[in-house]
Amino acid sequence: MRTGFHPARLLVLAMLALFILLPLVQTVVLSFLNTLPRDGLAEGTPSLINYRNIFASDDLRASLVNSGVYVLLNVALCLGAGLPAAYAFSRYRFTGDRHLLLALLVFRMTPPVVLSLPIFILFAQVGLVNSPIGIALVHCLFNLPIAIWILESFISAVPQELDETAFIDGHSLPSFFLRHLIPAIAPGIGVAAFFCFSFSWVEVVFARILTVTGGKPITMAINALFTFQTDIGLVMAMTVISLIPGVAMIWFVRNHIARGFTIRA
Amino acid sequence: MRQALTFGALLLPALVVMGFVAVLPLLAVFNYSFHDIFSLDQAYWIGLEWYQEIVTSDRFLSSLARSLLFSGVILAIQIPLGIALALVLVRLHPVLRTFGLMLVALPLVVPWNMIPMIWLALVNPDTGLAGRAIEGMGWAFDYKFTALHTWALIVVMDTWHWIGLVVILACASLSAIPAPLYRAAAIDGASRLAVFRHIELPRLAGGLAIVLLLRFVDSFMIYTEAFAINAGGPNAATTFLSLDLGEDIKAYSYGSAAARAMLSFLVVVTVVWAFVKITTRDRGQA
Repeated sequence: MRTGFHPARLLVLAMLALFILLPLVQTVVLSFLNTLPRDGLAEGTPSLINYRNIFASDDLRASLVNSGVYVLLNVALCLGAGLPAAYAFSRYRFTGDRHLLLALLVFRMTPPVVLSLPIFILFAQVGLVNSPIGIALVHCLFNLPIAIWILESFISAVPQELDETAFIDGHSLPSFFLRHLIPAIAPGIGVAAFFCFSFSWVEVVFARILTVTGGKPITMAINALFTFQTDIGLVMAMTVISLIPGVAMIWFVRNHIARGFTIRA
Repeated sequence: MRQALTFGALLLPALVVMGFVAVLPLLAVFNYSFHDIFSLDQAYWIGLEWYQEIVTSDRFLSSLARSLLFSGVILAIQIPLGIALALVLVRLHPVLRTFGLMLVALPLVVPWNMIPMIWLALVNPDTGLAGRAIEGMGWAFDYKFTALHTWALIVVMDTWHWIGLVVILACASLSAIPAPLYRAAAIDGASRLAVFRHIELPRLAGGLAIVLLLRFVDSFMIYTEAFAINAGGPNAATTFLSLDLGEDIKAYSYGSAAARAMLSFLVVVTVVWAFVKITTRDRGQA
């Protein structure tokens, strides 16, 4: 297959770029405009006031930290529980193991609205409401199956001899994981972390119902900005800031993003 | 025996987490759906009454039809478009391919409640780039009161949001095709169509099964984005199943909400099950 700079293909790429970037360009432009009538600053003038307002607001700054904490916790949970499970699915054969993997994926497909009510009641009983741990746990509902699926396909691409030689060399299972397996599938861990990170960062339904009084995430802080007189510039500036971690993650996994989605029959 | 123990021990953390956040809540919803719930201490067993009431109501049936139609439209647009884009991307120079993949991944990291805000700002006739262009061309675009326009806006927005997932997963399948296959096809003088039909499509099928399922379920249960665009309007034209369910939860009608949730879950599970049956039969293996 020839790859290169075919003009028709470049045109497709350019149109795709226009479609994807246009809404984002709009967002960035608005974030640098003053969108409310203010003293000494006409509406529609370019200004950094929105970004200054974000860093002047305790709520907005705190929401950035809250989101960061539960997203990182979620990624750690999904990788911590997902890696051993993915290894088990990749290396062991048992009756029903494929069905179990599929059942896990069905949970990824369970709509959050369906489970929001009992999850709130359950988490309220064990004191996980208003806590980042609660949100990090509940996001495992859709992220853990995805992490297991991605990691499983990366582990299956590693030849089994790696395990066998390590065990002959006297490595225990945990030490084999740390010394051999994790370095061998580092890109896969990156890709899994990227998807867990983004799906946790952008999720709204659970993040809203589990933060009643405190620990508001960035998504809810943005929602709270919609009032009688919404400062749309401030909303857009907050959105731009909320994009930065995701864009950084995309950059880190850019060369591996399209690997790790193969399923063995 | 030792193997079984290791297998179990490796799976244990994942199963404990899934049991707590998925299985327990699902059982609870199932239980609520048979009760009339005034408060959590006052719940009365009413059997299948909620189900009877919901299944026979026009409100449920019409929102179910709208959700199915919406999923159909979404799949009919996004799957072929995503495959076409992936076919172009894998033939580009590797640097450009990576650029393309990064590009389509961008909307995936935008918080879901901000996606409708961004699109509403974009089509705003006074300040939006697209809104001013549409007005400049003299088209009447009115997403608030014209049902077709609301639908168009939600479909385009959803495509913007999710096309990346289809492209990324399709690229994953395509880039696993060994180069000698293409060379052999070129030597045989195979047409572009024949290459797609006999080399690329079979490779795509496996990965596509999952994309189809994910896109079906996520579009079938679209909530955050659709609600913010027009709150289910105009005249309930975009009141999808989950928006209906959201109304019940907001009205503290928990029993009825639970029954609606179970019905949605049933539709999802049925589709997933049927889909797995069909695809595994075609491949002739379990």
